[in-house]
Amino acid sequence: MLHLLKYQFLQTIRSRSIMFWALAFPLILGALFYVSFGNTGLAGTGETDWEPVPVAIVTVDSSSANAASFLTFLNETDQDMIDIHSYKTEKAAKKALRREEISGIYYVKSVSSLTIASNGINQSILSSLLDSYEKNADMIRDIATQHPEKLSDALASLNDYQTLVKEKSLGGHSLDPTLTYFLALIAFACLSGVYLSIHSTVQLQANLSALGERRSITPTHKLSLILGDLLVLESIHFVNILILELYLTQVLHISLGHDIPKLLLITFMGTLIGICLGILIGCAGKLSYSVKSGIGVLVTLLPSFLAGLMFGGMKNVIEQHCPVINRINPASVLSDAFYCLSVYDDAVRYRRCILILVIMCLLCISFSFLMIRRERYDSI
Amino acid sequence: MLVHIENLVKRYGDLLALDHLSLDIEEGEIFGLLGPNGSGKTTAINCLLALLKYDKGTITIFGKDMKPDSYDIKQDIGVVMQNVAVFEQMSVYENIDYFCGLYIRDKQKRRELVEEAIAFTGLSDFRKMRPKKLSGGLLRRLNIACGIVHKPRLIIMDEPTVAVDPQSRNKILEGILELNRQGSTIIYTSHYMEEVEQICTRIAIIDHGRVLASGTTEELKKMIKTGETITIEAVALTKNNLADIRSLSHVFDLSYQDQTMILRCSGAKHNLIRVLNYLQEQDIPFGRVFSELPTLNDVFLEITGKELRD
Repeated sequence: MLHLLKYQFLQTIRSRSIMFWALAFPLILGALFYVSFGNTGLAGTGETDWEPVPVAIVTVDSSSANAASFLTFLNETDQDMIDIHSYKTEKAAKKALRREEISGIYYVKSVSSLTIASNGINQSILSSLLDSYEKNADMIRDIATQHPEKLSDALASLNDYQTLVKEKSLGGHSLDPTLTYFLALIAFACLSGVYLSIHSTVQLQANLSALGERRSITPTHKLSLILGDLLVLESIHFVNILILELYLTQVLHISLGHDIPKLLLITFMGTLIGICLGILIGCAGKLSYSVKSGIGVLVTLLPSFLAGLMFGGMKNVIEQHCPVINRINPASVLSDAFYCLSVYDDAVRYRRCILILVIMCLLCISFSFLMIRRERYDSI
Repeated sequence: MLVHIENLVKRYGDLLALDHLSLDIEEGEIFGLLGPNGSGKTTAINCLLALLKYDKGTITIFGKDMKPDSYDIKQDIGVVMQNVAVFEQMSVYENIDYFCGLYIRDKQKRRELVEEAIAFTGLSDFRKMRPKKLSGGLLRRLNIACGIVHKPRLIIMDEPTVAVDPQSRNKILEGILELNRQGSTIIYTSHYMEEVEQICTRIAIIDHGRVLASGTTEELKKMIKTGETITIEAVALTKNNLADIRSLSHVFDLSYQDQTMILRCSGAKHNLIRVLNYLQEQDIPFGRVFSELPTLNDVFLEITGKELRD
């Protein structure tokens, strides 16, 4: 068996074109993503923690009850959410806004307002904060006017609402919107294992290659050949993806979380599903190697596209309209699992992803074995 | 009997590739399967190796039924495919060692066998080279080394000299004779009659999936009417002359074209003398004269009505 493993290993790592697609191409794509996204995301800056939104307050008229109330609301708002900057004049605040030192300016007056210079997450948060205040203030005003006896109940219920919202720490994880691209890239790289296993499987079948013919007439059991190939290819591809992950985390500073055992497990399952899919394609039908490679390209690119490799919001669009695709798309399942590790620590979702991948691998291997065990062919 | 094939039938849809093919091959033979392209040679070999399903018939090798899981039989068979089947990414030595390892587990024994195979095929100077850097002849020799490295009892060679230069072809043929001397039985398929005639101890001529004739070269030649073909350059032969010559005993076919007369005579002595005597008696001048004994091509031509190589 060691003999088979040694030569399968040598044969695979010396196949330049195959190793390019399985190892070099994802690394290059990662670098291109990094360059393309630049500093638009947190990934580009290396920052991975949430920071309070910088905002200035300009008091135009503090005499009205509403203005005083809004000022109190802002001052009491969690300092983790907004960071109030002080400026001597409105002009200085506007200058700071233009320089993007702050994300917006709240004008405190009888009807408070917000001025922003651009659109983004920070600006949305400031706008939401103002909307939220105004809705609650309107509601309290209405109740005070129409049902003054229920005012205390209304205030209590508002307090209850606040207690229902539980703050969840991201534990230093990233909220970078570009992260989905990198997670989809890892999923794509995992699926690129199909190239390794298609090549290897075709070389096992007598009706597809001369090498398959020669290997089929030796006294070595076909199952030994398949298992040897599977073991070597999985090991090589696992190392390929570890190299990619090291590159992403250490060179490009993309956070993949801190739970190393879980990261290794999902990496293992990701590479295994790539290899198993390739074996399935390699075993299916009497198509030529080039046609099977073409199917391999489809099997890596289409799921990766659906998982957000080319368009970050794709997975969410599918989740809204046809969520079952995200459950059966290995690239989506993989990027989901990586998301659980790098952003939101959801053990249930992570376990579900692992389970789906295990089932997929078992199905691929079972179907492949059923097809390849028929050792005598109709034609060669 | 080392190999016994009886009434083998194989169809590809409507095409009958093997039509009740029967063969018996004795230990120690170099058995030639001779036939044109598409005659069913490779299909017969693939059925013999249990790679192909067949519709009817029985195959036994070493006295046992040959099945896909007959690993004990496969242990003693070596195959040299028509297409070169080696790993592009591995060196000459690694390729031979890899295929040897599929038969032989003992590392020391394997090393010895690989060295022997390299020396036998004359690849010592190329052991570290990758296949794509080898010439066509060397590549064929590597293909052979991979097939025979484990010293099998039965070696099946399916057109091993296709697209090989004459020098390499001679080396390959010498190698096959040496393997046979070392004790291997060889089944050799080819559509090159010269090769088959040169090395095979017994030959089966097949066409349309059927054995048309089998035996030693001499036996096959005796099966046909042509015993001698005489070619004479003669300038002026009249119809009467041709009729006289045609009426000579043992002459059964005559053609005269471009001042060249070709006579086919049945196997008998003094055919040429009789014809030359007639020409002298009639005072007919003649130029060059050739007399040829029948070749396998004549055998094939007479049995099938067509040339071996279309």
